[in-house]
Amino acid sequence: MSAPGERTTHVHLHLILGAAVLMTLYPILWVATIAFSGNQSLAISTLPENPDLWDRLRAITPWPETFSFSNFTSVMTDQPFARWMLNSAIISLATTVVGVFLACTAGYAFSRFKFPGRRQGMMAFLVSQMFPGTLMLIPLYIILVQWLGLGSSRIGLILVYATTAIPFCVWMLKGYFDTIPKDLEEAALLDGATAGQIFWKIILPLAKPAVAVTALFSFMTGWNEFILAATFMDQELMYTAPVGLRFFVGGFSQQWGYFAAGSIIVSIPVVALFLFLQKYLVSGLTAGSVKG
Amino acid sequence: MANSAALSRPDEGRPVAPGGPVGGSPVPPAKKAASHRLRFLLGVGIGSLIAVGLSYSLLSQAREDAVTARHQRKAVVSVLALADLVVRTGEDGEAIRKAVSAWREQAPAGSQARVILFNGLSLEASTHPGEDAPRRLKREEKELYDQGQRLRAAVETNREEGVARKEEIEIVPLVGGSSRLAAPLEREGAVIGLVEVQTPTAGVAPKPNVLFALLAVLGPVALLGILALLLGERRNALAAIALGGLALGTSLYAWHSISTVVGDRRAAQEEVADYVRTQAQTAQGLLTQLNLPLDPPIVASRWDANVFRQPRQLLTAEGKTDEGALGSQLALASSDATRALVGVGILALLVMLAIGFGAVARLFSTFISNRQAYAYVAPALLGMLVLVFFPFFYGITLSFTDSNLYNTSKPLTDLWVGLRNYVDILSDFEISRSTPEGGRVVNYFNFYWTLWVTVIWTITNVIIGVTGGLILALLLNTKNLALRPIYRVVLILPWAMPNYITSLIWKGMFHQQFGVVNHVIAIFGGSPVSWFESPFTSFLTALTTNGWLSFPFMMVTSLGALQSIPIELYEAARVDGASKWQQFRSITLPSLKPALVPAIILSVVWTFNQFNVIYLVTAGEPGGSTEILITQAYKFAFEKYRYGYAAAYSTVIFGILLVYGTFQNRVTKATEAN
Repeated sequence: MSAPGERTTHVHLHLILGAAVLMTLYPILWVATIAFSGNQSLAISTLPENPDLWDRLRAITPWPETFSFSNFTSVMTDQPFARWMLNSAIISLATTVVGVFLACTAGYAFSRFKFPGRRQGMMAFLVSQMFPGTLMLIPLYIILVQWLGLGSSRIGLILVYATTAIPFCVWMLKGYFDTIPKDLEEAALLDGATAGQIFWKIILPLAKPAVAVTALFSFMTGWNEFILAATFMDQELMYTAPVGLRFFVGGFSQQWGYFAAGSIIVSIPVVALFLFLQKYLVSGLTAGSVKG
Repeated sequence: MANSAALSRPDEGRPVAPGGPVGGSPVPPAKKAASHRLRFLLGVGIGSLIAVGLSYSLLSQAREDAVTARHQRKAVVSVLALADLVVRTGEDGEAIRKAVSAWREQAPAGSQARVILFNGLSLEASTHPGEDAPRRLKREEKELYDQGQRLRAAVETNREEGVARKEEIEIVPLVGGSSRLAAPLEREGAVIGLVEVQTPTAGVAPKPNVLFALLAVLGPVALLGILALLLGERRNALAAIALGGLALGTSLYAWHSISTVVGDRRAAQEEVADYVRTQAQTAQGLLTQLNLPLDPPIVASRWDANVFRQPRQLLTAEGKTDEGALGSQLALASSDATRALVGVGILALLVMLAIGFGAVARLFSTFISNRQAYAYVAPALLGMLVLVFFPFFYGITLSFTDSNLYNTSKPLTDLWVGLRNYVDILSDFEISRSTPEGGRVVNYFNFYWTLWVTVIWTITNVIIGVTGGLILALLLNTKNLALRPIYRVVLILPWAMPNYITSLIWKGMFHQQFGVVNHVIAIFGGSPVSWFESPFTSFLTALTTNGWLSFPFMMVTSLGALQSIPIELYEAARVDGASKWQQFRSITLPSLKPALVPAIILSVVWTFNQFNVIYLVTAGEPGGSTEILITQAYKFAFEKYRYGYAAAYSTVIFGILLVYGTFQNRVTKATEAN
């Protein structure tokens, strides 16, 4: 139905959008270039003594001078990065399991049972989202590291991440459980099912999509977290991937090649997850129930 | 069968007890309230059990501590008396051995001693079976020498600093209840060796009297039981008697406990004083026997010292108990004990009242009837309580203390500074000060400077995010735009990337020498900028980074809202001859408002708390000028280790967010009302 003449009027739009895409993609292409360059420098090309325009253009063109996978192979073998990825994976998976389990049961109770303290409990979960990170960080550090001796331990981080993720997951799951008709449970009750059976065999299977989304959200919480991990994990072997990536380029260390290769490896799963999840996240976020 | 019983119950009617609560709110007939008498009896029983049980365990702990303390005091007297003797012999081996064996004879059975002199590394005397002295120390006895050196270092450190910081007597508990003490031999200010004494086992502490405890529990119960028979179901009277009885029983037992402890202390003091006198006599006798100088005279009371070899000053020079000093120490101890016991008593009273007035019963029955719901909520709630709510309140408490890296093991009451941290933060208005050269420099650690930076940071970022996001959304919303899905996916990527990676990438691109940004500037003929050396350019780098990663959120939100605007509105407007701008003003913007307002509110909080970008891109450079509140609080906590101050700082941030939150609520309500 669109006339060919109408399409031509979009050229200026494509120009602006193209510029925006270029701005958006440039840092990503830059990091990819460094990653595939095979060396540790953060320059794309070395400038000669008196660079002319072409040399300078070359220096900003995101395409490696030599193409090499060596940064990827050595970051995974010579550097403890594989170990850091493993730490991150274990922590994120355990966070997911603990967080989702706790959130499912609590969300179900908030959705289905009327009990004294229900409103206050839900409010408490919501209010906890307002507590600023640093105010929590100091006591958590004293409690976990100095009292319980859980510094540089995965368990400490798992517990903290899981409880951080709980409120969002509880609200999300409660909302979903609310949409499941009660008739199903009443029918099952008549057939003699216990409350436990109803929860595990009827409600949870029906809530699979919501459970999946909360699980992915919990996973991303653990995978992307930086401050807590940087504060609690002070042994190099126990770093998580984010802390490790900072280690490559923080302070006086300038291993940009390892950083770039590691960043790409770490980002691919979360970016994919995010693109898959975004519509749920957007609706959840604009409902105002997640903290920054 | 159970059903028929339940059905028949309403027919029984409610038994109206004489004097019972007639005409109160109707009690549901199915639930017969338990009698007040029973409740209060149970309450007094459990309350007294708690109070007396806790007091009993405190008392028996105190008696055990007293025995250990007495044992240790005597051991210190032993070792210091021996050290005094040995020093007076003037490193004469024969005299030392005589002194040691004389000491051994009057010491309690099972005591052993060693004397080590640094001069010649010799084991000068020993009563340990199988150890011959004098001889050089063996290689495997190096630990003894090291111990001597530690003591020497401790003595010297304490003397230099003029404080008692390092222990000058080392006490090692041994298996079986005995202990080994080592004290330095100090002669004319120099440590020349050490004396080591092994004590016999400490005695066993006498158990507190169980009969008194039983009486203190059963007495109030019996009293209430008898009076309850006379009073019937009068709740307030019962409560008063229960309260009185419990208070009486508990305080009598508390009085008994305190007087026991005081008696123990007094007896211990007498025992130590006796011991000091005997030691002094032996020493005196030995000195005459060995023809050793009696000058300076022995001051035996100085042997009763703490581990820093400071006299406890509970003895007069003659070795008699100093009643004044003892009295004030006992008063201090008993007021400590009283405070603990009053706490216990209050706890017991609260428990009793809760049971007596039925609060516990109600709580219990609520809990039972909703046990499923509570079972489902409990795990998550427990986790939140331990790792979110407790830390939160602990953090607020910390903000009133002077807690730092080195004193976290001390109780918070010792570190209490009241509002000092808040006053320090909020009343410091000295944002800039003049330099000797006549210029003015900004104090970047001032709270108000950081607040100013944070506000500017938040406002500029939100403006950039909203403008960028909205423009892109309007472009993407064009009908029949080719490649739209591709644009959308690409433009959302910055949001999908972990923001710590984004921050590090931009930090690399802003590198002064190799960064791409400076190359681009050079292409246009500019000279390279040292981005992180001036507050303004440093701020720009963080702004660019955050702008890059935050516009997609606004874009997606606006796009969603734009797509839900019915196309007919625009068609109608066009028919009415409205211009593009008029359409935007009166259709697009109002329709965007419900989605955009919450998104802006949210992104204000996000940006305000955007830790990663500031921490990783500028790191506050130069000199902390680009720090925002939250990164500044982090640095106070984890780079300066001022936990208390940082907690107060964070609490102030929380306060700001709370104020913003209430304001936001009002705005949201206003938007919804429109």
